[in-house]
Amino acid sequence: MTTKDIGPKNPVEQGVTQVVDFVDERSGVKNSGRWLMFRNIPAGTSWFQTLGFTAMALFGMQAITGIILAMYYKPDPNTAFGSIAHITNEVTWGWMVRGMHKWGASAMIVIVFLHMGRVFIWGAYKYPRELTWVTGAMLLMMTMFMGLTGYLLVWDQKAYWATVVAVNIFASAPILGPYIGDILRAGPEFGPDTLSRFYSIHMLLIPGGIATFIGLHLYFIIRLGISEPPWAKRALRVQRDEEDARRKAARNRDAGLKGSVSFPPAVVTDGQEVSR
Amino acid sequence: MKKADKVAYDKDYAASKKNGKPFFPYAIYKDTIIAGLAILVVIVLAITVRVEMGEPVNPASTDFLPRPDWYFYFAFELLKIFANQNALTPVIMATFMVPNILIILLVIWPFIDRGPERRIWKRPFAMGTAVLVISGLCYLTFLGASTPEGIAKGETLPLTGLDAAASAGEAVYLANGCSSCHMIKGVGAPGPGPELTNEGAKGWDNAKMVQWMKVPVAPMPSFASLPPEDLENLSTFLNGLGTKYK
Ligand code: HEC
Ligand code: HEM
Repeated sequence: MTTKDIGPKNPVEQGVTQVVDFVDERSGVKNSGRWLMFRNIPAGTSWFQTLGFTAMALFGMQAITGIILAMYYKPDPNTAFGSIAHITNEVTWGWMVRGMHKWGASAMIVIVFLHMGRVFIWGAYKYPRELTWVTGAMLLMMTMFMGLTGYLLVWDQKAYWATVVAVNIFASAPILGPYIGDILRAGPEFGPDTLSRFYSIHMLLIPGGIATFIGLHLYFIIRLGISEPPWAKRALRVQRDEEDARRKAARNRDAGLKGSVSFPPAVVTDGQEVSR
Repeated sequence: MKKADKVAYDKDYAASKKNGKPFFPYAIYKDTIIAGLAILVVIVLAITVRVEMGEPVNPASTDFLPRPDWYFYFAFELLKIFANQNALTPVIMATFMVPNILIILLVIWPFIDRGPERRIWKRPFAMGTAVLVISGLCYLTFLGASTPEGIAKGETLPLTGLDAAASAGEAVYLANGCSSCHMIKGVGAPGPGPELTNEGAKGWDNAKMVQWMKVPVAPMPSFASLPPEDLENLSTFLNGLGTKYK
């Protein structure tokens, strides 16, 4: 009896299959998705290699909570503080979203530093992953800059004056400093436009940059493959060279020993030879 | 890395990948667990340690604490190290030279350390650097977290011989958070600004001091928005420190 594959009978399943096939026909997602998910990685990857993904997840959480905050936040010196108070005290779950965004910022910085620490300690930045490191360094700086620009947005005394000091520091740099200061402040002094400028930098410019660089970072990671832990069972070349050298030295030593000490006595004490 | 080392590495890595496991599910399950844990910790913190409202901005300024978020404490402490500047350690070292050298080192590090060795205990130079940087960052962050934020409300400076103008100046000094960057006779933060106990010894006149308050050198913020008589009293106060007011 021959069976003919007519696909799933369930009309919903059939519909989904049709849509997926339609998209796949034009984009090839099935193949690339399969390749992405089922590509091989070295067998002994460790828990330390989850930190990059965790940083990415936290960035996603910051994006989502940030979008919600932006629905209520008003980037104007007269209303900013009030809108934050509104979010904190009145909006349903507002305190929670704000709390997650604030703690999420700290958590992201901790995780990014831990991730960088593991990459450093493992020497995972070495050939061929130098550019992965460079894009990562850019991500670190942008993450820090997110913290700096976001701090001002609550528009309270502590944040305001800390930001005045920080911008002063940028502005005191030689040659380019004054221009950077003017760009950050939207003018020579802290004014009404400063807040909306920081808002724009915080929620459009840098997140765009981070998303772009996460893309580049991932491109390198997927293209080059994730590195093995330095304690991987399969020895790398440097280790094999070392072992070769050790064996050779041992051979030489044995040979040397035979040649100078053990060989002549062997002749003397060789019972067979002597007795014959 | 030499050509031969690169070829050897590529070959080794290809072999380990060939004998490896698929990303899904062997890596992604670990990723999901740790990322989920991290988000859970954030949610728990958001619920248990609520964010608070500070005081709204007042650019004409009352007392403020120019403190960054904790992850910039190390930079703030770095500033303090260069607080009492001299020819060898000008403030520009802390605000420009040191941070930029660190950033450049960070970016080009893989082009500095290029050897083929990856085992942790066979890379003493890199590990030494790591220990130095990590302990340095932790120490500076700890310092930043444990220094008092200026002085408490109601506290005064242990000075004698203040006349009316100087007392008014002292009040301006205390009300504007100067002590979160400056120290007078042991009161206030030890930096990033220099100690002002003997400020009068410089022999500035009030006009020069007022000008400094309006256009100071970064990172000190400008106080041009203070009323003129406050600036005048403040200058009288500062210019007598260590000479008239001890
Ligand atoms: C953000 C920290 C900060 C705050 C707040 C601050 N200063 Fe300063 N101040 C500095 C720094 C840093 C310098 C050194 C600048 C330089 O010369 O490069 C300085 C320098 C000075 C000097 C010159 C000291 C000298 O001997 O060269 C005086 C006087 C002074 N500040 C007074 C004040 C007064 C008064 C206030 C409050 C109204 C104040 N500062 C607030 C950081 C601060
Ligand atoms: C927003 C910040 C960052 C994100 C989202 C991120 C994401 C990732 C991810 C998902 C990986 C895969 C392996 C793993 O999880 O360890 C990875 C690997 C890597 N990251 Fe990052 N990263 C960030 C910051 C950094 C920083 C600051 C550096 C260093 C300066 C860095 C350097 C590297 C390198 C060299 C690898 C390859 C490691 C290997 O193959 O073993 N990354 N990153």
